[in-house]
Parts: sequence; structure tokens; C-alpha cells
Amino acid sequence: MSEKPHERAQQLFSQSLIEGLSSADQTWLEAHLRECAACAQHAAATRELLRALRNVPLFIPSDLAARTQLRVRLRAQEFAAAANSGAVLWIITAASWLVGVLSAPLVWRGFAWLGTQLSLPKPILELGFVLWWAVPALVALAAVLHQRGASNGIRNSRGDHVRRFE
Amino acid sequence: MNRPASIFTATRSPLLFAGLMTTDDNSALAAGLRRRDPELLDRLIDQFQHRLYRYLIFLTGDRALAEDLFQETWVRVLERGHQYNRKSKFESWLFAIARNLVIDVSRRKKIRSLEELGNPESDQPYEPPDERCASVLQMMVTRENEQAVQLSLLKIPAYYREVLLLRFHEELGLEEIAAVLATPLSTVKSRLYRGLAALKSALPQGAA
Repeated sequence: MSEKPHERAQQLFSQSLIEGLSSADQTWLEAHLRECAACAQHAAATRELLRALRNVPLFIPSDLAARTQLRVRLRAQEFAAAANSGAVLWIITAASWLVGVLSAPLVWRGFAWLGTQLSLPKPILELGFVLWWAVPALVALAAVLHQRGASNGIRNSRGDHVRRFE
Repeated sequence: MNRPASIFTATRSPLLFAGLMTTDDNSALAAGLRRRDPELLDRLIDQFQHRLYRYLIFLTGDRALAEDLFQETWVRVLERGHQYNRKSKFESWLFAIARNLVIDVSRRKKIRSLEELGNPESDQPYEPPDERCASVLQMMVTRENEQAVQLSLLKIPAYYREVLLLRFHEELGLEEIAAVLATPLSTVKSRLYRGLAALKSALPQGAA
């Protein structure tokens, strides 16, 4: 018998393990393995090899899961705390904005009265009004951005290479 | 093919074994991960600890590093739970996270076995490591008739060990392996054929 049938048999056997075979190839391979002791031995050895590969024993530290669970729970608590503080900050920001909008007419009248008393030009009064109204919102925005920057910094310091798995 | 009883079979709970999960199970899993449900994560850690730890050991060959990466992987699962696609197997996503962490570490540290993951298609012949080098894989050897195979694993590159583990131990499909490795299907097949051949050739005469 030439070498080619044996090469083909070994190739097909590997393919059967990795990708699977068509029924025609499977039939040919089975027939060849019945006739050829050397190829049958090779196939048996490969099966034994994979069986041994599956049986590589693993000695996992008994407390590894518990340590990991504790660490994950602590991290989950950090997330929960950050989410709570973030929610409080957003509520305060929204309340601040609402008070600013509702009080705008009163504040505008106050600035108008002040301008009349001090004889200030209208652009300065308008600028002062805008600042009075916007500064609290800008401070709140800065706080939110600072908080986000801090949390992103923590994540980046731990490495950030996990890609979205789709 | 019948699988012999091993330490792994005992750890695969039918309740949450992702390979047997239905779409509803995966949806519930995805929802729990989005909520960062600590109870769910506890169960997942219990269930997948052996498979993940084995994968990391196969990749790194370093017990201490594997333990660190094991913990870090689960922290990533917590942090990135909202990215889990319920259409894919959980373990595929888990292994992909672990693999990316291993690659991160290999970039920061110069670790031989991890560097092998960097450019596996370079076609450069690899030098089998000195058999006197003790490693965790060697320490794992307990059965005489499997010792040769386990020692041979040390001699083949990590990127072959990885695909052999995922295909023949984890029994992932080729497409799932390609997703874990973020490589084309043809590359996965190529590595499997070469890895199988490399493992056979690394065996001492008469073994397995």
C-alpha cells in the first residue's frame, strides 16, 4: 500500500476531531482503520492523548473562590455607593436648576433695582444676572465631571482592554 | 466520545451550566450581570472556577499569576456585565475577558509563555523549554500514564495549548473559539491542526 492512503487517513482523523467529516470521508476512514493496523494504532493513540489532555488534574486553592467572591462583593459595594452619591448629586443639581428658573424673575427685578440705584449700564446688569443664575449650575456640573473623572481614573488604572463581545 | 470522570465533571452544575443554557437563562444571566447582582456572581464564580482557573494556568503556566488574573477576571465581569451579549455563551465571554487580561499582563511583564500569545502566526520554529524547568503544569502531574502528556504540554507554545484546551477540554465550537481569541475561523483551525501535531510530536516515544 502506498503512503498516500495513510497520510489521508491521518489527515481525516485529525479533521474528524477538529471539524468533523462528511459521511463519505467518514465511511472511507472507518474502512481504512479496519484494514490498516498502523493507522488504527495512530488513531487510538491520538484518542488516548486527548483523553489524557482532558484529565490533566487541577489543584485549585480551596479559598480562591471565597477570596474572589469577597473581592467582587466589595467592588460591587463601591459601585453601589458611587451610584447612590451620583444620584444624590443629580437630584441636588436638578433642584438647584429648578430654584434658579423659578427665582429668575425675582432675581432679575433685584438686579434691575440695583442697577437703578447704582446707575450701572444694562450690559453689566445682564452679565451679572447670567452669572448669578449660571454659577451654581456650573459648580454642580464641575462636581459631576470631577466625580466621573475620578471613577474613570480608577478603572483606567486597572487596565481597560476588555472589548465588547458580540 | 465518552468523557471520563474528572474533577471538572463534579463542578458542572446543571442549574447554571452555560453550555446547556436556554435563551431565557441567558437573558436572566444578562439581566443579573447588568444589575451587578452579587448573588449571581457568587454562583458563577463557584460554577466556573475550575474551568477559568485551568484556562489561566494553561495560558500562563504560573499559579500565582493565574490566581491574580482569576480574581481580576471576575472583577471585570462585574464591571463589564452590561457588555455581555446574551446570544453568546457566558463561558466564551468569560474566557475572552481572561485572555485579554493575560495579554495585558504579557505587555507589562516579559513572561515567556505569555509572549508566545503575541504573534503566534510568525511561523518561527519554537524551542521546547528545558524539561528541568519546574512549573505549575509539572506540579499538576499525579498520574503516571498522563505524565507524558502533561509534560508535553510544556513543550508546545501557549497559543497551541490554549486552542487545544478550548476545543478538547472545554468543548467549545470553532466559532466560539474564534470569538474568544478574536481571530478568524481559519486561524483557529490552523492552530488546532498544528497544535495537535505539535503535541503528538512533543510526546516521548511510546507515550499515549
